[in-house]
Amino acid sequence: MAKVGVYVCHCGSNIAGVVDVAAVREYAETLPDVVVSREYLFMCSDPGQELIRKDIKDGLVDRVVVAACTPRTHEPIFRKALESAGLNKYFFEMANIRDQDSWVHGDDHAGATRKAKQLVASAVAKAANLEALEDTYVDVTQAAMVVGGGVAGIFAALDLANMGHKVYLVEKEPSIGGVMAQLDKTFPTNDCSACILTPIMVEVGTHPNIEMLTYAEVEDVDGYIGNFKVKVRKKQTYVDWTKCTGCGACAEACPAKVPDSFNCGMNDRGAAYIHFPQAVPKKAVVDMKHCLNCAGHKIGQEPRISKKTGEPMLAPCEKACAADAINRSLPWNPEGELIEIEVGTVVLATGYRVMEKEHFKEYAPDSPNVLTALQMERLISATGPTGGKLLRPSDGKKPKVLDFISCVGSRDIRHHTYCSRVCCMYMIKQARLLMEKYPDLEIYMHFIDVRTPGKDFDEYYTHAAEMGIHFIKGKPGGIEMLPDDRLRVLGYDSAMGENIEVDADLVILATAIELPEDAQKLAQKFSMTMDGSGFFKELHPKLKPVDTPIEGVFLAGCCQGPKDIPDTVAQAKAAAASAAIPLAQKRVKIEPILSEVYPEKCSGCGICVPLCPYNAISLKPYADRPRAVIDMTQCKGCGVCASACPSGAIILHGYTDDQIYSQIAALTQSA
Amino acid sequence: MPTVNLTQMNTHEIIQKVVEFGGDGVVKCIQCGACASICPVSHAGFPLFCKQLIRKVQTGYEEEILDDPSTWACVACNRCVEVCPRGVNPTEVIFAFRRIQANELAISTSSLMSQSNLYEKGHAVLSGESKKLRVKVGLPENPPTSVNDEKAQKEIQTLLDNSPMADLGIF
Repeated sequence: MAKVGVYVCHCGSNIAGVVDVAAVREYAETLPDVVVSREYLFMCSDPGQELIRKDIKDGLVDRVVVAACTPRTHEPIFRKALESAGLNKYFFEMANIRDQDSWVHGDDHAGATRKAKQLVASAVAKAANLEALEDTYVDVTQAAMVVGGGVAGIFAALDLANMGHKVYLVEKEPSIGGVMAQLDKTFPTNDCSACILTPIMVEVGTHPNIEMLTYAEVEDVDGYIGNFKVKVRKKQTYVDWTKCTGCGACAEACPAKVPDSFNCGMNDRGAAYIHFPQAVPKKAVVDMKHCLNCAGHKIGQEPRISKKTGEPMLAPCEKACAADAINRSLPWNPEGELIEIEVGTVVLATGYRVMEKEHFKEYAPDSPNVLTALQMERLISATGPTGGKLLRPSDGKKPKVLDFISCVGSRDIRHHTYCSRVCCMYMIKQARLLMEKYPDLEIYMHFIDVRTPGKDFDEYYTHAAEMGIHFIKGKPGGIEMLPDDRLRVLGYDSAMGENIEVDADLVILATAIELPEDAQKLAQKFSMTMDGSGFFKELHPKLKPVDTPIEGVFLAGCCQGPKDIPDTVAQAKAAAASAAIPLAQKRVKIEPILSEVYPEKCSGCGICVPLCPYNAISLKPYADRPRAVIDMTQCKGCGVCASACPSGAIILHGYTDDQIYSQIAALTQSA
Repeated sequence: MPTVNLTQMNTHEIIQKVVEFGGDGVVKCIQCGACASICPVSHAGFPLFCKQLIRKVQTGYEEEILDDPSTWACVACNRCVEVCPRGVNPTEVIFAFRRIQANELAISTSSLMSQSNLYEKGHAVLSGESKKLRVKVGLPENPPTSVNDEKAQKEIQTLLDNSPMADLGIF
């Protein structure tokens, strides 16, 4: 006979404010197998846990039921209490009488108390049928992967590498740097983005523990915490990077014209190009989709021979390359190279994109003088399309009146309901930088409201107002195109309660931050869950901010939600620290709540094999025929196989048929 | 109300004038509204109370609001100064704007009585009621100020006659 102890928690007033805790405790005493029933203000506190430990040590109880909050956060705490008192920690069951009872039935105290009794009876019935289980351990591969080489990925990789771990840094572009490399200066200190980022990029590039895989993308992910197998496709560069010196001669020689994504399409680059001047690694790639195959020299073919000279006719990029890194005659594989990397933990830092202006028909997107704020960053950057000169795209003349519009696509149920968090500050930053450089500008800024919640942020904003930048509370509803390429912004000043308009030479739209499509595909590969805003969802918004539902996979930066550089770096360092824990522990625990096949009962029908969402089941020969085998390291304990097995040959430990039937029986008896 | 084209407004000129006349806090205002919440001018129903005046100045209004009598209703209670979270000193903005109005002879008739009181007796506000109150609490009927001191009144008039106020032609 099991000796079940029941411990009912008040959870302050969370439970006791609704449920009659004393009545639940008294009721528990009447249940079969229950030897003691107690109540306490906070069962999870040390004195609360001590009640359990003492009863176990006194030999009073050998099964424990805690009626309290959610096992998601508190089961590990109570299991530890059992373990420290010398009892198998899986002789524990939790009844959730808070999240699933008092919190949802606050207006029905009697009903909530009745439900609490039923939940306790069900947990007690299961507890009496619990079996002892043991944790198992597997070794951790001593390496980590960081996906995304923006500022988040850079800092996560550096911290992991500096802790002594091998790090693979995967970046889809030819260079690391991300969006931060595109920025001119950074708020609230106005330090130059390149000046603070590029030295750190160099540190990443030269770190002995970091292997950079740029121009590469994750194709497939297999495995589990401690033992992930990641297939990475290194895209074909058509340039021998072991020889390329990054001189850029091929890029200059290339006659193709492709919108330069680094400059937000405001100028053209060649098909042969270097991502940006401070690229790390500074290597050229040939974008074969836009290659003109000059001189008729197609990839993998011998060059044609000139009838005039008798010499082979090479493409300009080949001729320009002094390092002999471009040889189009070689049989370059357009698929690049697929490599498999084994790592113990992964940090996802895939970043964001900004919405394009074309989504906003009310803001004259057809005008070249309407820019996104990221385009504006490139326009004022010394490495941008105009070398940092503020020139109007339509005619290359210096503008006199600038107008900024905030919350374009953010805080808007037609696009994204969330606040993109950085727009107010970067708009003010751009305005301030421009005012400092061109004091004769007139700059107007329209806000729903100015949001500056950060260290030194509000001071930054109020100083901007004192500099003579005009702040207007009220979101414009439209832009009219004027004959001379100027734009009339139709606004409203809610402080005055009057309609206003601004005739601007340039209009800058602070378009929303959002998760790019390729990151959504990556999320599927890593089985990430997404939040209501479309970003990767952390495991707990407060207590597990960098963890994910997939153990061993962590989040950093804007893929988890919009954030500024200080927050991104802080989160990246947090993710690195979390990802280092399993590496430092060198082995990870596998909880025994897993499915197991009884081979004697298995008919080998194979129904379970395709049902398993984790590819954990395979058919292997056993005695005279193939039978199902479950890979313990892949199984997540979902129970699909156990419920589908027609022979009842699969058992899900911790949720056996006996345990579940006893719970159902207890639940269906009225309390 | 017609739409205001901000690019056609001369914001710098009016702001510069207000700053010169002592209202330098006008550029610091973030339009939170704390001043308006306790302003007697606003409570009395005048349209151009502190917050509104500041916003209009920030927007570049001058001529359009020059004849508005609201500013002359300000009693300089300074509650706005006490509650302002940005150090705008709204009273000073109002007084600066009054000075601009005065220079343009846009003085509200509502203020003429107090101006002539000031010139004649050295007090902007004189009330027969106050005499009764003083007697009631045991004080002499008249305060020991310029109000009963012809010599002092003469001095005040001399001062005012030699001040820019004399040019306004209201004495």
